Amino acid sequence: MAKETSKLAKKEERMAFWLLVPSLLLLLIIAIYPLGRVFQLSFTNKRFASSQQVSYLGFKNYSQLLSMTIRELPKKLDDDGKAILKDGKVVYESWVRVLPRKPQRYKAVNQFSFLGKRYVLGATNADFIQSIIDTVNFTIITVLLETILGLIIALALAKKFIGRGLMRTAMLIPWAIITVVSSLIWEWMLKSDRSGFFNAFFDAIGITQGNTVFLVDKALQLPSIIAIDVWKTTPFMALLLLAGLATIPKELYEAAEVDGANKIRQFFSITLPLLAPTLTVALIFRTLDALRVFDLFQIIFGEKRYSMATFTQFTLVANKDMGLSSAASVIIFFIIFLFAMFYIRTLKVDADG
Amino acid sequence: MVKKNIFLEVLFYLLIIAIAIYLIFPFYWALISALKTENELVQTPASFIPNYPTLINFKAVLSNPDFLRGMVNSLIIAVTTTLFSLVFGSFAGYALGKLRFRGRKPALYLILAMTMFPQVAILSGLFTLIRFVKDIPNSVGFLSWLYIPTPALLIAMYMIFTLPFTVWVLTSFFKGLPQSLLQAAQVDGATFFQTFWHVLLPLTAPALVTTGILAFINAWNEYLFALTFTLQEPSSRTVPVAISQLSGKIARQEPVGEIMAGALIITVPLIILVLVFQNRIVEGLTAGSVKG
Repeated sequence: MAKETSKLAKKEERMAFWLLVPSLLLLLIIAIYPLGRVFQLSFTNKRFASSQQVSYLGFKNYSQLLSMTIRELPKKLDDDGKAILKDGKVVYESWVRVLPRKPQRYKAVNQFSFLGKRYVLGATNADFIQSIIDTVNFTIITVLLETILGLIIALALAKKFIGRGLMRTAMLIPWAIITVVSSLIWEWMLKSDRSGFFNAFFDAIGITQGNTVFLVDKALQLPSIIAIDVWKTTPFMALLLLAGLATIPKELYEAAEVDGANKIRQFFSITLPLLAPTLTVALIFRTLDALRVFDLFQIIFGEKRYSMATFTQFTLVANKDMGLSSAASVIIFFIIFLFAMFYIRTLKVDADG
Repeated sequence: MVKKNIFLEVLFYLLIIAIAIYLIFPFYWALISALKTENELVQTPASFIPNYPTLINFKAVLSNPDFLRGMVNSLIIAVTTTLFSLVFGSFAGYALGKLRFRGRKPALYLILAMTMFPQVAILSGLFTLIRFVKDIPNSVGFLSWLYIPTPALLIAMYMIFTLPFTVWVLTSFFKGLPQSLLQAAQVDGATFFQTFWHVLLPLTAPALVTTGILAFINAWNEYLFALTFTLQEPSSRTVPVAISQLSGKIARQEPVGEIMAGALIITVPLIILVLVFQNRIVEGLTAGSVKG
């Protein structure tokens, strides 16, 4: 009998192996192998579609992408050695004068004031550093807004009201529209004159002159793209949270009602703690997604402003710099990998069950 | 009972209406833009209802060969990707969800990690892989008749993101099926594959529909690979790439009307799909990310 069982177990094991082969083999070829190649290419000067001799550069691509420095910007002085004031503000020297040019040329990423002094952040690849800063800002703000708005919508939809089914259906629409298309629609709505919806609308209600350049103005670029992403993804978040809300037993609320806890108290002592697991997972899930953002940036900004993903793609396709693009890929991979590990930890995969 | 406050009630409905308008408005704007003439599109301020509704933009985009080819390519690629994902995914899902074997846990972790795989991180690696695959007919003598079309390569690449998700959801679904079914089938002398094929697979039909729709939508949406790998081959472009590079026939400037018409044409089938299967989709989304 024991022999019989072990024979069966062997059979089961063999069966499992053959069932897994197609998936694992495919993933090995299309994901793991290319990943290995990317690591290898990231240490070379290989160019795309070129017959140039390939040589190994060590960590040169990485240092080109990541070298940064912070320098203090001196105040601009007049002939008497006094600081020049313009409109009551101190004028500083141009960053060109303080950032190093050798061995590699540094360009300014941004400037900031700290303890009354002015500093400039310089990088040898300002575009890449800027793309990391932008992508991280984009991620933090969109995920935060989507979670808060999603929670509000989910709480509203958890109630019973007329047209609830219709509303749940409407929520799937932004999610169902492909990102390229919704980006194109929003790009059109954000047009820089009053033929675009937002300028026509803001002009009509008297907030602006109707000529805001939402997608060109550096200060408005990120808020605009964040608005688009929030529109597209909040409903998705709300649906996830709604599913989480549905798992909270109603008796808890009834008991709280009897105990005289008001709605706000109920929210903080029942809803939020019990929703926490769903919320955490949704948060990390969205964070990983936002860090990879490509479609939105590519359509709206092209080469005007990069996300980490569009930078990598442009470096490869437009600049044909395979080595540098691969190094950027590796850096992105590690950033996302760290988040993913955290995600798996949080999920505590039920692999033994 | 708590007395209902009329004021709060009205406020609540106003909130709901505001949310609904927020969600639907861009779609409405695309619709009216698609129905406008070229002159009306550049008119300021923009009109909220088209003055002279016309279908000319729809006709133009539907007679645009690039757009139509994109539709056909996308359909072929998305359907094939979905089918392969379901076949491979149900195999793997069955093994991971119901069979006992060594290495099950690492395999499960690998699949989960793969669901978060950043596609952009392997772009240059895929380039070299494609070059290698495309070169097979030239370098391997007896395969010189072989022709590997780019859409086939795209299908393989799309499995990077559809397959792990499918496996993950189907694994948790298989796991949920009662063990007694498996044992009963074994008592009847069924092999593992027979059990899978005749007993378990029919029961997973709902999960297959759910994951299939999600895989289809994801493949239909994909832009990064499609854009990057059809650069020198316009005839292989999928519809997201085609629409983003649409150059108009009738319009002198950017053909906004046509783009909006095209946007609606590729979105409406998807919205219908979503409306018909909405409960399944919500189920699938939550199974993939909430249950774990």
